[in-house]
Amino acid sequence: MSRLWKEFSKGLWKDLPPFKLVLGLCPVLAVTKTAYNGFGMGMAVIFVLALSNLLVSMLRKLIPSKVRIACFIVVAASLVVCVELLMQAYAYPLYQQLGIFVPLIVVNCIILGRAEAFASKNPVHLAVADGLGMGIGFTISLTLLGSIREIFGYGTWFGMNLTGEWFEPFTFMVEAPGAFVCLGLVLAGMNALTNWQRKSKGLEAIEGPVHDCKTCGMCASKPGA
Amino acid sequence: MREMLRMILVLSLICGLSGLTLASVRQATNERIEEQVLTFVQGPSLEQIFSDYDNNPVKDRKTFDLPSGPITVFPALKNGKLTGVAFETFGKGYGGDIGVMVGFDIDGSKLEGVGITTLKETPGLGARVVEPEYRDQFKGHSTASIALKKQGGDIQAISGATISSTGTVAAVNDAVKIFNQIKDKLPTAWGS
Repeated sequence: MSRLWKEFSKGLWKDLPPFKLVLGLCPVLAVTKTAYNGFGMGMAVIFVLALSNLLVSMLRKLIPSKVRIACFIVVAASLVVCVELLMQAYAYPLYQQLGIFVPLIVVNCIILGRAEAFASKNPVHLAVADGLGMGIGFTISLTLLGSIREIFGYGTWFGMNLTGEWFEPFTFMVEAPGAFVCLGLVLAGMNALTNWQRKSKGLEAIEGPVHDCKTCGMCASKPGA
Repeated sequence: MREMLRMILVLSLICGLSGLTLASVRQATNERIEEQVLTFVQGPSLEQIFSDYDNNPVKDRKTFDLPSGPITVFPALKNGKLTGVAFETFGKGYGGDIGVMVGFDIDGSKLEGVGITTLKETPGLGARVVEPEYRDQFKGHSTASIALKKQGGDIQAISGATISSTGTVAAVNDAVKIFNQIKDKLPTAWGS
């Protein structure tokens, strides 16, 4: 049970995909104009990630290691097309907003990254917990970034008007450069928070770029590493 | 050799299964997607065209066969009586085809109006064909002769966007031709 919780919860903070692993940045930058878009994209990713982890883990003993990447991609691509069709059928306005970024989930490195680094080496229940945790972490990150950009750029949150008439929208935030700036600020905030946490535990702070696995739990979760 | 066969077998099996899954998901959602596309792409333009109707034109649509291919016709009904029809035609624009929904009065003497469905024109120039200032020139216009001013008609083109203006006028004229082909079938099609 505790192992299950550990695999689930690591995606929520320790290995938070866009902010800690800094993976899957294409949708993070592209679709977070509004909180709703970010949330919708996140839901699509949860669906694909959890099911692809489930299938990859189920098939892991069957798949020959030489063609494993091709197999993982076929699984992920099929799931993404399913999501695309379902989204068109049941949430067409959201599909119009996300457009090309739905099919691009196939090449999102989180999907392949989790399949390769985790699902192909672990039993089914842990793989699903990992996929759900990572997916939910991804959704929260996208919604957070979308909220920041929407509030500053449009003065609204999930379409609700938060500010009064006096508010002059800071449209830079919903343009492409605003995505980079906003992501940078969030990353800086995350790093400061991590260092503060480490200091309060009596560990040394991390300065500058790190080239070992100190900040990332991905390697530690591999058996035998 | 055995390993190679295994690789081929497993990969083909996975691909085959995904193909099967996708085909069935597509089959299951196909009808609904068609409806959704019509509601969100064609639907808003129908609202711009018709003002007085009490049915759902997207739901009541019917397809007519023409020599040039099938055409989907959206009816406007009031108390069960057909008051107008609309359908979509395409004209050549500057950035691709412009989709124009053209609405007709039931006897075909004048236009109910036009709405733009798909558009890839330059913002600020060609994209201004969606603005009421341009579109409203077609409202109530006779179907007899529709042309831009410089072609001898009375439609004022958008300055700096001759191609987009010509494209929409051509699409409307196409629609008039199609309307004349299906005119006789219309009164009986919706059972009134």
